[in-house]
Amino acid sequence: MLQAENVLFTIVLVGYFLIMALYFAFVIVKKDALAKAAEALQALVLVLHTAALVLRGIGAGRWPMTNQYEFATSFAWALCLVSLIFIRKYRFHVLGAFASPLTLLIIGYAAMQSREVRELMPSLRSSWLAFHVSTAIIAYGAFGVAFVLSLLFLFRGKKQAEGFWHRHIPAEDKLDGISYRSVTLGILFLTMTMLTGAIWAQQAWGSYWSWDPKETWSLVTWIIYAVYLHLRLRRGWKGKAAAWFAVLGFICVIFTYIGVNTFLPGIHSYA
Amino acid sequence: MLEIPRSLLYNGDMCMKKIGRFLASMPFAIGLLILLAVACALCSAIPQGQTHAWYTARYGEQAAGLIKALRLDDAFRSVWFLVLAGALCLSLLSCNVTKLPALLRRVRAFRDPGTQAGSAETAEGEGDPEAVFRALRLKVPDRKETGDGKIHLFAVRGTAGFWGHWICHLGILLLIIGFVLGQMTGEEMTVAALPGETKALGKTGMQVRVEDFRAELREDGSAEQFTTEMELTGPDGSRENATIRVNEPAVLHGYSFFQNSYGWGADVRVEKNGKLLQASPLCAGELLPVEDKPELVLYLQEVYPELPGYLYRLYYQGNMLGMNVLEKDETLTVDDYTIVLGEPRMYTLLAVKRDAFIPLVLAGGLLILAGLALAFYVRPVSLRAERQGSGPWRLCARCRRGGPMFHEAFMKAAAGAGFSAAVNAEDGTAATGGEE
Repeated sequence: MLQAENVLFTIVLVGYFLIMALYFAFVIVKKDALAKAAEALQALVLVLHTAALVLRGIGAGRWPMTNQYEFATSFAWALCLVSLIFIRKYRFHVLGAFASPLTLLIIGYAAMQSREVRELMPSLRSSWLAFHVSTAIIAYGAFGVAFVLSLLFLFRGKKQAEGFWHRHIPAEDKLDGISYRSVTLGILFLTMTMLTGAIWAQQAWGSYWSWDPKETWSLVTWIIYAVYLHLRLRRGWKGKAAAWFAVLGFICVIFTYIGVNTFLPGIHSYA
Repeated sequence: MLEIPRSLLYNGDMCMKKIGRFLASMPFAIGLLILLAVACALCSAIPQGQTHAWYTARYGEQAAGLIKALRLDDAFRSVWFLVLAGALCLSLLSCNVTKLPALLRRVRAFRDPGTQAGSAETAEGEGDPEAVFRALRLKVPDRKETGDGKIHLFAVRGTAGFWGHWICHLGILLLIIGFVLGQMTGEEMTVAALPGETKALGKTGMQVRVEDFRAELREDGSAEQFTTEMELTGPDGSRENATIRVNEPAVLHGYSFFQNSYGWGADVRVEKNGKLLQASPLCAGELLPVEDKPELVLYLQEVYPELPGYLYRLYYQGNMLGMNVLEKDETLTVDDYTIVLGEPRMYTLLAVKRDAFIPLVLAGGLLILAGLALAFYVRPVSLRAERQGSGPWRLCARCRRGGPMFHEAFMKAAAGAGFSAAVNAEDGTAATGGEE
């Protein structure tokens, strides 16, 4: 089962690279057929990636989200899924050119982690694991989408009106609106992540908040997005300023996910 | 009788209002949040709770001095951090208190069919207004006739959405208060005990007796689970038994017992001139004074279960006499005393905590979640339909933060029910625009 998962993972990794290449080719050559091919390949790779995750879960006998490898591959899956939904819903292929490199980076990070299936340590054997980690995946995925849309917004603004980019990227107010909705989804799920994490920590360690680096940086991320929402709702911050804030917020997300484990290990170091 | 001049009272009142407005203001709140985020980020990079010597070795003398002076070694319990948190609480409280009257007025106005304030989506025609109500997921109301021959229908949903940010602020406030009060009044201690050992539970007047401790290990040596069977004797002499595992704490007499860790120890026999003086268990990291000569102390530093052997230190009147490794059952002689350590055994380390404000923190957390969900996903929607006599129906819909998406949804619903966009009386253009 796990061997099959390894093979599928390698195919998926190559698949994401090809998706990115096709979207880049679409943007350079400006042929719609390339975008359609990329979209079709993305749908296929998503199915294979889903199968890989299912096989991993069956092989490990638990939800595949208990270490850096499993979380990264699930995160990449979520990004692929959400970006495909947006591409299909809004006929918005240029999103693929921006989302696919990010997905490839994350799955590439997963490829560098140990794929060994280890039995869970006693503190991870809890029904809160699935809730806590899955809400984190959704939150990070939503913030990732907001990040990509914000980059698109900033990119579109620098391009000539009526050009290829303006035809293929939705209007700025629409990009801005979708990005905002992504952030609201993200902050809701990040709050759930922190709440379920606190409840679980209380059950496991008797301390719902210990200022562990992961917990502290989750709070920093939450505050950044809370500031973004306040400025948007009360001061009418939209457009460019909001886009840059969403980019900053996602940098915090990446630091919380990878940077903390690398530079500030604590009790959350479950690689 | 002292009379306070009216001008002073008036100025004092104005001053309080200004302070209240400042505390409730957006710039103050944003500034505080940014300061808190920066403080948290910076302090997470400084390992907490280390000694001055540790910081000196790592960062140099000057930096270590600065870290200690600013309490950056215990940043999250320092005065300046508590001041920031306190300021945030003031900001949240002021915001909720000052904005409550306006919020209540807004909710009342939204529920009032007669309200004309603010922009709205409008449509008119001879279509079926009830179909529009259904399309917007509003309960179809009864038709009401006014004395002047007007018929109108009005429905509203989702006004709970107005309360989202207010509830979220309240949740954050309760959470912070609960956390701080818990830190100030809570109790926390650890109990390390070998099976068969009884230990006092701090100053609670209770005793913990560990009946059994099992470490279930897998083939590769990793831990499957740790289980402690314990008996708690209360201050009144009552006894309660409990089984504690990781992720399965026990609550006894208001204290929560958690399986925190484990370690190694051994049973120690101390003899004097060949006669048994004392036999007691000793865990690694613990001190054992000799009963009839308490200035002679054995410290068990490390246990090597695979040898089996022990790294120990011997102290006399606070001065270290020696440090060495002792094998299992090997004799250590000091004057008339002989000390022997038996077979290494695992001890359990239980964390024992009491925090009466956990329910308040949990309530705060749930309110934050509810507030966010209400603020972003429950959009207040109202629809008023009226006609004068046999004239056309005029529809007027409002949605808080509906934006272009509500405009699209309303126009689609109106068109589907046989209405078209209403025309502005002044310039003949289509009336559009949703409330943001």
